[in-house]
Amino acid sequence: MPPLFLSAIKAGCISDIITTIKQAPARSGSVTVAGVDIGSNTAKAVLLEDGDILGTSLVMTGHNSRIAGRRALDLALREAGLEESDINGMIATGYGRMSADFTDERVTEITCHARGAHSRQPEARTVIDLGGQDSKVIAIGETGKVIDFMMNDKCAAGTGRFLEVMAAALEVELDNLGEISLLSESPVSISSVCTVFAESEVVSRVAEGASKMDIVAGIHQAIASRIYAMTVRVPFKEKVIMTGGVARNVGVVRALEKRLETSLVVPEMPQHMGALGAAIIAGERAGA
Amino acid sequence: MIDKDEVSRLSVDVLSRLQGLVGDPYSYARAWKGRTGGKVMGFFCHYAPEEIIHAAGALPARITGENRVISESGAHLQSYCCSLARTGLDMALGGDLDFLDGTVFVHTCDTMQRLSDIWRLNAGYDVHLDVVLPGRLEGDSAWEYLCRELASFRERLGELVGPVDDGALRTSIALYNRNRALLADLYRLRRRDPGVLPSDKALMVVAASALMDKEEHNALLEELLGNIEARLSGAAPGGLPDRPQEEGVESRGQAEARPQAGEKVRLFGIGSVMDQWEFLAMVEDVGGTVIDDDFCTGHRYAGVMAPEYVDPIESIARRIWDGVPCPCKHVTTRDRAELLLERITGSGAEGVLFFQFKFCEPHAFDYPYVKKALDERGIPSLHLEIEQGSVSIPRLRTRVEALLETIRG
Repeated sequence: MPPLFLSAIKAGCISDIITTIKQAPARSGSVTVAGVDIGSNTAKAVLLEDGDILGTSLVMTGHNSRIAGRRALDLALREAGLEESDINGMIATGYGRMSADFTDERVTEITCHARGAHSRQPEARTVIDLGGQDSKVIAIGETGKVIDFMMNDKCAAGTGRFLEVMAAALEVELDNLGEISLLSESPVSISSVCTVFAESEVVSRVAEGASKMDIVAGIHQAIASRIYAMTVRVPFKEKVIMTGGVARNVGVVRALEKRLETSLVVPEMPQHMGALGAAIIAGERAGA
Repeated sequence: MIDKDEVSRLSVDVLSRLQGLVGDPYSYARAWKGRTGGKVMGFFCHYAPEEIIHAAGALPARITGENRVISESGAHLQSYCCSLARTGLDMALGGDLDFLDGTVFVHTCDTMQRLSDIWRLNAGYDVHLDVVLPGRLEGDSAWEYLCRELASFRERLGELVGPVDDGALRTSIALYNRNRALLADLYRLRRRDPGVLPSDKALMVVAASALMDKEEHNALLEELLGNIEARLSGAAPGGLPDRPQEEGVESRGQAEARPQAGEKVRLFGIGSVMDQWEFLAMVEDVGGTVIDDDFCTGHRYAGVMAPEYVDPIESIARRIWDGVPCPCKHVTTRDRAELLLERITGSGAEGVLFFQFKFCEPHAFDYPYVKKALDERGIPSLHLEIEQGSVSIPRLRTRVEALLETIRG
């Protein structure tokens, strides 16, 4: 398992952190289900038994999303000490869900992130999911049902990919971006959120002698502005929960909190919320 | 007595012909010109007075751009113009519309008006005509102006293309009305049972109307609808209502408009040109169907009947005046959102797909208040912006599927 705990926890900047991942709502009957979320960057699996998490996994997607999904499932099964034949229901989600030939059931990552996030924080009414190549803002109702959503369109701004490009341009480890940005006292202004143009702008700022911490903080502010623009196009309500790999970047979380003027709930294992939601839906269907 | 297999075969023949035509939309006009020696007049907008062009003996052929990478029009149009304008001009400059004898531009949005100027100066066709419609379709002065503008167009076309006498114009109006009645029938049959024709095929059938001779399209439609009715009457004794409904508007709660259990999710499409057949096929694949629409190549093109017992110019003005206004036109007494809501509920649609060109300002201006009206009624919707030539189906698929999941709960 890769490190899943947030650097944000250490930094203590997030006002409300859910740490009780194993307290999913109990379901009637003993049903074991799986959710497999094959994203553009990583594939995740979550195994639930009667609502309790038995196993999780996370692998790089690489060039073959079907194999990545399969590996994620196998790893989660191994962690839980289960066989595939023990599974009563399985749902694939994410960008590569169509390639998951080990299950017939597929649900979009939009619905799955909503359900996964809702199970962690039932009071949440807005989900901000920033993944490898997609950014989404999802308005959800009291039951976790999607009311409306906005998704980025052919634009990597605010996504994990955007941050990877910026980290490479600045020679900073991806996982360190968040904490570095918190040291900044005067973030530089990054006017473009287009990955290509922003990279050029970052290079210019480096040439001007701006510090890494100020540049990274500026990048995070630019992302926050971009996501803010998406939130005004859905019925945005508190509480706001953040999912996806970018939620592990405390700098983005803090910039978003400032821009949205609200605190964000970041669940433990934010990358797994899609797989968790898929497993919860699989549980409902298997129990029905 | 025609059997079911025969019905399917006949429908497939008509459909494959229309599908081929829509897949290569400009081949018909080129072949028609070669066959008849007649003149072909291109147009972009459903408000174009096609009946007058037809009465002059020319073929009105709609230009809807195409999925292509821009090469020549970039020198004339900024990238913030819609892909309809940019790919259309690119085709003209690249010689792909060389069958045109002229073009008719109807003033709708600013881009189209300026495209007209650029087209006139650079495309090099013999005839170039503008029809400057009033911005507001209401009030005595706008009505008089509209009639004068159409009369003036008739005169100018008469000089440049061919004379338009009253008899020919009345015949053309009747022919176009017949087409509208048949298209209304197609929508009515699909509302009754969307399974008779998936929405990608249905919208192809409608779009083909603006690409080909109306008489020929009417014949194909009659054959197709006859086949569908035969199939439906076999499955549902008692047949269909005698008379087609008025354009698109039906009373709420009508039995034929209610979605049946197990059916695909009925969606209502809003946008301008719909020529993304792969997209519509994907919507069908994931369990949705566009049951009705306000696309200007769809139900808005089918439009309303032109009255036949009045002055022919007044008749054409009337169908422009009375149709559901496009976002470029304004009628303060007939709210566009309310008109759309009536049609959405009448069609039994459970959700709305906004399928719009990037940089289409009129649709973008309308979107927030139409969306607000939908939200107030609890009708889920999805806003998609596309550009011809760069449509990514997998990314759109996720969003459409999520909309369907939202509707199904």
